[in-house]
Amino acid sequence: MTPSRLLARQSLAGLMRDRSVLILVAFFAAMVMVTAWLGWSATNTVNAIYADAAQYLAGAGQPVPSNPVGQSAPLAVLRNLGVYISLIGTFGAIVIGQLLIEADRRAGTLPLLGTRPFARRDYALGKMRALGVATGAMMAVAGLISVATLFTIPSLVVRSADLARLGLFLILGWAYITTFGLVALGAAARMPATASGLISASVVWLVVTFVLPELTANIHPTASINPVSTLAATPDSAFFRVTSTLLGPVSLSEAFAWLSGDLLSFLPDGLAPRGPVPPLVTLPLALLLAFLFALRSAAKLDLTAGGPDA
Amino acid sequence: MPSSNSAVSTHGLGISYGDAVALHPLTLDVQKGEVFGFLGHNGAGKTTTIRLLTTLLEPTTGSARVAGHDIISDPLKVRAAIGYLPENVRLYDRFTTRENLMFFARLSGLEKPADAVHETLDFLNITELADRRVGTFSKGMRQRVGLAQAILHRPDVLFLDEPTSGLDPMGVRQLREIIDRLNAAGMTIFMNTHLLSEVARSCTSIGVLAQGRLVFRDTMQVVAARYDEHSLEELYVGVAAGHSEVAA
Amino acid sequence: MPNILPSIRGSVMTIALRDAREQLRDRFLFWATLALVVASTASLVTGAIALHSDAATYAAARDQLLALGKDAAAIAAPEFYPLKLMRGMIEQVEIMGAVIALVAGYRAAAAERGRQTLALILTRPLPHWAYRLAKIIGGMGLAAVSLGIVIIATAILLPVVSGIGLGTDDALRLALTWAAGVFYLTVLFTLGFGLSLWARSPASGLIAAFALWILVVLVAPQIGDTMDPDNQVAGGVFAQLSVPKAEQDRIKAGFAGYETFRNGIEVASVTKHFERFTFAILGIKDTYTGAPVDKVLAEKRGDLLFLFLFSLGLGGLVLLRPINPDRLTKES
Repeated sequence: MTPSRLLARQSLAGLMRDRSVLILVAFFAAMVMVTAWLGWSATNTVNAIYADAAQYLAGAGQPVPSNPVGQSAPLAVLRNLGVYISLIGTFGAIVIGQLLIEADRRAGTLPLLGTRPFARRDYALGKMRALGVATGAMMAVAGLISVATLFTIPSLVVRSADLARLGLFLILGWAYITTFGLVALGAAARMPATASGLISASVVWLVVTFVLPELTANIHPTASINPVSTLAATPDSAFFRVTSTLLGPVSLSEAFAWLSGDLLSFLPDGLAPRGPVPPLVTLPLALLLAFLFALRSAAKLDLTAGGPDA
Repeated sequence: MPSSNSAVSTHGLGISYGDAVALHPLTLDVQKGEVFGFLGHNGAGKTTTIRLLTTLLEPTTGSARVAGHDIISDPLKVRAAIGYLPENVRLYDRFTTRENLMFFARLSGLEKPADAVHETLDFLNITELADRRVGTFSKGMRQRVGLAQAILHRPDVLFLDEPTSGLDPMGVRQLREIIDRLNAAGMTIFMNTHLLSEVARSCTSIGVLAQGRLVFRDTMQVVAARYDEHSLEELYVGVAAGHSEVAA
Repeated sequence: MPNILPSIRGSVMTIALRDAREQLRDRFLFWATLALVVASTASLVTGAIALHSDAATYAAARDQLLALGKDAAAIAAPEFYPLKLMRGMIEQVEIMGAVIALVAGYRAAAAERGRQTLALILTRPLPHWAYRLAKIIGGMGLAAVSLGIVIIATAILLPVVSGIGLGTDDALRLALTWAAGVFYLTVLFTLGFGLSLWARSPASGLIAAFALWILVVLVAPQIGDTMDPDNQVAGGVFAQLSVPKAEQDRIKAGFAGYETFRNGIEVASVTKHFERFTFAILGIKDTYTGAPVDKVLAEKRGDLLFLFLFSLGLGGLVLLRPINPDRLTKES
């Protein structure tokens, strides 16, 4: 077994014994289940409102428009999934990313690892491999629950193309949360103070989620965590045209929200992504940059530090 | 002068952080089979020296060879040949002794890690700790498991950083016996310590570091001929403060 | 025998002031406040730009109608009420301010545990609850200073971007917003502090506090918001169906049970109470735009009371729960 694989295996075993990680994953799984219920319940309500309004409009001799959600695709019931992946999934990845480094640091095992016959790069790769597997497991949980939900709601007709779209969505979700996990891993490697990795990666995530959408399209923070409200068009002004062109490519949460809407079939007609770079390019590129940052940071980690009060 | 019999040899080995010199150029030779006691005040540079020799830090000046390998050009070979027990070792709390040791045995590239773990536990007489979680251990128990991870792969040179720190008298005595047995099996031991009584009983040679410089170096035979056990403290205080003759 | 009460008060103030002094000297508070000011002013500026763009669109449409000889009243003019632009600032305080308060609470506990000064303080002649009270008071002071700076900065910028000066009535509304915000942030500070003090390691406490933040600040209001039928359809379901207001109310009445449940999820979150109060007092919510302060206070006293009682309850919990003697250092 290669050193990086060995390190990854050991790190994953450690994560599985960490209560906070297990609670976070359980919380994430529970929220994925809530997603399905939310989609079903809200759609039912809108349908009922439509039936009531249609009756009134017909009685008043007015034209009855088509049901705004009647034509929605089955995957649209999972529209909250993207939000919970970007909130809880990302937070889980950040916690795991920082814990992978901090667990070694607090256990005082960094000097022991540093005096073993393998390259520093192997250490970094092992940790990143563990992160990728852990976030992959989270997305697998989300996938299983989502598929079970789709087949449980009686009125939905799910085709294999829908499952393929869901699969692609989950892969992109994995890329999105792993990006932040890698930032946390790299930050934890660079900053030895306890929880610094957690805090700094959270700051990056907060800015990406709640500040950039305001600048690119005047999306207020609470709207940016609503799957429908966040998919609003850029206001028609020179300022927003410039900001969305410049900041759109780094506004990862908007790129992910756009792809969620597109893949889960609830994207408003004709809504363009923010900025000139397609989201399908933005997300993998961000993952690659985060990977390089984490690799460099973890490979340069100060292996002399550590101990219970480090 | 380094020879083919050198376990550790340094030539002008030093490290600086900007203008701050953590270790002045150090030239030192420790022969194979020695138990070398490295003495010095807190902050003298002893731990920095060990970190350089164990490849945890890269020197800014000079060079060193450990177990015949260059620490800069051949760090992996150095790591394969050494064992290291840092001060205040803690290990993975949520794992048992066996799980911790299996992990480090595999990382050391051992082909039969389970056998090595079994033998080491037996050697250190801690088989009863094998399946207990390290998080529940006392300082002394942790120290022994820490020592176990350092000798699992039967290294040529064993680096111990303040190994008796925080141990009770019984723990100190057990550690001394273990060091004697390891040395008898041919292992070179490089030990940072404050305890002069330990030096007098375990070491075959000593060096004293003061403000990043080696100010004394001799075998315990010579030291014993010139000083009795009580005056060892005076020797240490004298050379460390720069008031005594430097024999390095 | 000295009177013990003044000495407790004195000790509490000594600890609280030392804490506040330390935080003021620390770069964390500076950067956190600066980040909140930048995020809030960015919200204000983007909100104003979007409003100007709406106004320009309205003016163009009105001119077109007038040129065609039609009545311009057929289209609604965009409302212009400067305090409405504070919406983004309130939401930034709600979300980012909350994180900053949590982290400040964590740091207040972690610093003492990391330096091992907790044992030194707790072996002084003062009841242990007094120490925790001092920490909460210190946190409240920090929230007051930090939020004060944010509100003053946005209030200075507001007339610049809106072109309308603020009056004394507006200042009163901002002061009430500040007071509600201080309580809200103190709740979050207390949560971060308490969990980091009780947890096996402060970092685990911070993780738990973050998870609670996600649940209380983001998820609970988000669920309520998502369940709102008007948020299920872009532009709002009733607007899409072109149903008149009276008919909307009749249809909504038929979903009273659903609405009660939806509202129940929202009001379980302290964040929603802070938001409802501040949105009303600043006139951000249309139904309260321009309403007198006393009327809004009368209608929204429930939200204010919830904020106050929640702070008191959580503070009480932290004061009552003793510190575990095994949790005096960073890693136990």
